[in-house]
Amino acid sequence: MNALSADEMERFQKLSNTYQPEVQGPLVSTKQSSHSIAMDYSNADPTLAAKTNALAITHPDCRIMKGDGNCGWRAVAFGYFETLFALRDTLRIETEIRRMKSLTTLLERVGLSDSIYELFVDATEEILNRTHAAIQNGAQDESFLVEAFNDGYSSDAIITHFRILTSAWMKLNPHRYQAFLPMPLDQYCSSRIDPVKTEIDEVGLQALIDGVIEGSGFGVEILYLDRSEGEVVTPHLLSSNRPSGATIRLLYRPGHYDILYPVETTLNMAPIVNLQYGMTSDYSPWDQALGFDVNSSLMAIPNLMQDTSFVMGGSMSPMPSVSPTPASPFRMSPQQDMYQSPMSTHAPIPSIPVSPPPQIAQSAAPPPMTSLPSRTSDGPQIRLNPLVMKPNLSRSLPVTTPFKNSPYNQAHFQNSDFEPIHWEPHERR
Amino acid sequence: MGSIKRISKELTELTESPPEGIMVELADESNVYEWRVKMDGPEGSPFHNGKFLVKLSLPTEYPFKPPTVSFATKIYHPNVTNDEKGSMCLGMLRADEWKPSSKIAAVLQFARQLLAEPMPDDAVEGRIAEQYKNDRTRYEEVAREWTRKYAC
Repeated sequence: MNALSADEMERFQKLSNTYQPEVQGPLVSTKQSSHSIAMDYSNADPTLAAKTNALAITHPDCRIMKGDGNCGWRAVAFGYFETLFALRDTLRIETEIRRMKSLTTLLERVGLSDSIYELFVDATEEILNRTHAAIQNGAQDESFLVEAFNDGYSSDAIITHFRILTSAWMKLNPHRYQAFLPMPLDQYCSSRIDPVKTEIDEVGLQALIDGVIEGSGFGVEILYLDRSEGEVVTPHLLSSNRPSGATIRLLYRPGHYDILYPVETTLNMAPIVNLQYGMTSDYSPWDQALGFDVNSSLMAIPNLMQDTSFVMGGSMSPMPSVSPTPASPFRMSPQQDMYQSPMSTHAPIPSIPVSPPPQIAQSAAPPPMTSLPSRTSDGPQIRLNPLVMKPNLSRSLPVTTPFKNSPYNQAHFQNSDFEPIHWEPHERR
Repeated sequence: MGSIKRISKELTELTESPPEGIMVELADESNVYEWRVKMDGPEGSPFHNGKFLVKLSLPTEYPFKPPTVSFATKIYHPNVTNDEKGSMCLGMLRADEWKPSSKIAAVLQFARQLLAEPMPDDAVEGRIAEQYKNDRTRYEEVAREWTRKYAC
C-alpha cells in the first residue's frame, strides 16, 4: 500500500467527515403492503421473520419513511396530519389550528422570537389549512399530504416546528424527563432535539407525544420489531389517549420508524348496509332458534371454536377487547374476495366482538362493543346469529375466529404440505 | 419562499441593533443570500484592533442548512483554513449540529468568540493548533503580526 502524504490523509479525513450516505426513496412513501417488510426479513433471524409475517396480517399496510435521521419525527408528524384527515371533520381541524397556534406560547416562554418560529408554525398551519380544504373538496385520498411531505422545505419546516415545540415542552416540564436523560436537560435538547437530522430517541418521542400530539386526543402506539421472544411485535402505547379509531401507529425497528395501518383502520369506508344483520328483524331470539350448545354441523366449520389461549395470550394489541382481526385473510387473497366478512363493514368499530351481540337484529349498525362478553371456562360457547342456518344465506357465514390456526392464515403457505380448503357456495355442511 | 422572509427579518434586526464588533450588509443588494460582515478583533485577543472581512453565505435551504462562514481577510488561527478560502466550520456551523432555530446573529457572535478562544482540539490547521497549545507566546506574536499586516 502506498503511504499517503499528510495532506492527502487530511483530505480523505475531511471527505470522510463530511460523507453522507445517499439514502434512497421518497421522504414519505405511498401506502404499501407490509409484505414488503416481511420479505426483507424472510431470510433473517427466524424470530424477525415470524414477527414480520404476523405483522403483515394484522397490519396489512405500511408507509416507509426515509431513513435520513428525521424518520421518527416525520412519521409522527405525517401520522398526525393523516389521522386528522381520515376523520374528515373540519371542525376538528379548526380546533387543531387554534391549538397549534396556542402552542407558540411554549416557544415564547423559552425565549424564541416570532421572527424565528413563524416560518415553522406557518408551515404546519398551511398543511392544516390544506387538509381542511381537502376535506371540503372531498379529496379521495391523502396524496396531497404525501406530496406536501415530500417537498423538502415544507417537510423540514414542519419537523422543525415539532422539534422546537418538543424542546420547549421539555424545558418547561423538566421534572418529567430529567431522570431519564444521561445529561442535563438543556444540553439534551440542544444536542438531541433541536439540531437538524438528529434521530429521535425514546425520551424525545415521549416528549413529542406529550407536548404536541396528546392535546389532539390521538393515541400513539408503537410496535417494536426486535428479537425478543414471541411471535408478534411488541406493542407499546405512548399516549394516555385510548387507541380508538384515531391512533397513529408506528413500527420501530432499531434506529428507524415507519407508519403502520392495522386492518381495523377503515375510517374512510362509506357505511355499508350489513346484509347479514339487516335482512330481517322479526326472527325468534337466537337462543330459542338454536336449541343446542355445540352443533355438530357448525363444528365442522374450520376453527369456529374460540381459541381462547390465543385471544388471551398472543393478541397483537394491548387492548383487552380486541379479537385478532378476523377480516384479514379476505383482504390478503384476491381469489377469496367473494366472501366479504360482515365484520369489515363496521367501519369505525374499534373492536370486533367475538360473538355477534344478542340483540343484533334491531339495528342495521349494531353499537360497537368495547369488551368481550364474559366467557366461562366450561367449554366453548357458540353464539351465532340464527340466520346463518338459513340455506339462502349460507354465504354469510360468520368468520369470527382468530386467524392463527385458520386455513386462511398465510403463514401456512410456508408449509409445503399445506392444502387450502376449497369451499363451494352450494356445498351443504 | 420562507427562507427569504426569515433572512430579511434577521438582516433588519442585525442592522438595527448590531451585536458588539459586528457590522453586516449585503454583498449585493439584490441577493439576500450573500452577506459581507465586518468583524472587529475581540479585545484581549491577538486580533484586537484588526478589522476582518467575513463572508457569510446562506444556502437556499436556510434555515434547515447552516450558513457558511469564511474569512476573506487572512488570519492566523487554528480553526480557519490558511488558504484562499479561509473557511471556518465547527460547532454550530456543522451541518449535523445546526439548529434551524439558531440566528445568524448567534453564528456571527460564535465566530467572533472563536477569535478570542480558539478550539485547538477541533482545528483545521493542526500546526497552528500545536503552537497554540504548546507555545502560546509565539502563536500570539504571529497572530498579532498577521493582524497588523492583513487586517489593519
